Amino acid sequence: MIRISHFSYDPGEHEAENASNSYLMSLIAIIAGLPLPLLNLLATLGFYLGNQKGTYFVRWHCTQALLSQLSLLLINSVGFWWTIAIIFADESITDRYIAYIIVAVLYNIFEFIATIYTAIQTRKGIHVEWFFYGRLSSLICKSDL
Amino acid sequence: MKKTLLQGITIIVMFFSLWFIFAQIEWTKVLDTQKSTDKMEEHLGELLWRFFQESEREINNPFIVSSLDSLKEKVCFENKIIHPSIKIHIVENEAINAFALPDGHIVIYWGIILNSMVQEELSGIISHEIAHTQLNHVMKKLIKEIGFSTLVSLTTSNNGSDVIKETAKILSSSAFDRSMEKEADIKAVEYLVAARIAPKPYADFLYRISLNDNEHLKYINWMSTHPEYTERSEYILDKIGRNKYINEPVLHAETWNKLQAALL
Repeated sequence: MIRISHFSYDPGEHEAENASNSYLMSLIAIIAGLPLPLLNLLATLGFYLGNQKGTYFVRWHCTQALLSQLSLLLINSVGFWWTIAIIFADESITDRYIAYIIVAVLYNIFEFIATIYTAIQTRKGIHVEWFFYGRLSSLICKSDL
Repeated sequence: MKKTLLQGITIIVMFFSLWFIFAQIEWTKVLDTQKSTDKMEEHLGELLWRFFQESEREINNPFIVSSLDSLKEKVCFENKIIHPSIKIHIVENEAINAFALPDGHIVIYWGIILNSMVQEELSGIISHEIAHTQLNHVMKKLIKEIGFSTLVSLTTSNNGSDVIKETAKILSSSAFDRSMEKEADIKAVEYLVAARIAPKPYADFLYRISLNDNEHLKYINWMSTHPEYTERSEYILDKIGRNKYINEPVLHAETWNKLQAALL
């Protein structure tokens, strides 16, 4: 699901730090934002927009961090509003609901671990590509060259 | 581009497959969610009723208690509601008030019994409160007003006297929302019809109370907790329509008169 690959050039120390920060930004805000991860999405989006004029390496990793947050927002939003409907409306706790929450929690844990790993590797200047999100980032983010 | 799309579809398929596989497990049975919810409601009901018992005087006169139980049992039996699950408590208080607590506890002030002209009116009030318990309005209201986590902590610790007081106040003197009141009124009419009790006196009771003058206003708690009573009486009459309903009195006329006299 996660693979280390060669980037088109070797990023400098400052670039690696900035790229790693885009993942850290989502990690810090995820704690404040759960169960509805709007805060970390906004924080990652803010960091993404702030680095639009950054180098290709930084922009690429900001894009990957932002895209991964979007799917998390979607999954957690469904779980959040489903729970609200159970508490305040006529919905009841079903096997499907519990199964969804378990899968959502597993997805969150997996994403959390993957984000920490990517932040550490990126800080070392190593290029980490996520399954699907890496390819999507390459499509969205174009090289300066 | 094609490979990216394929990877995206793979992630979506993986997510839904995992969800489908997990959904095959009967989690509600494994975790016994209903049992733990029922247990919390039972504990909360006991806690709140104990609070009222300490602050109000309960009427234990066997004649009065059995008369009200007869009205309750008739409604419950004809509507397939397990009647021991509904526990009626009569309280010595002149206020025109009745309210439901969690776990089927219903508190009825004697003021409301005295202000009922006929037994069908009282059956209507009891049916309305039973409807609140059966439609789970009490727990929904509490979760909305004080929050689920507070309710859980209330039932798991002994340090919540202020919260219990606040919760008791919410249930005894604040309204359910309009849609819940309407739902309970309509359900009450259905209960009455199934029990062969005329529903019109219940609408008459609401309307009559709404006409009460200032002299009685200080006692009309039930009306302040059940707002828009003229409107309520109107939609109950709408629900009844021009249909003629059978009315089989549950109590003998003599018993009803004796009940009213016993409370004076």
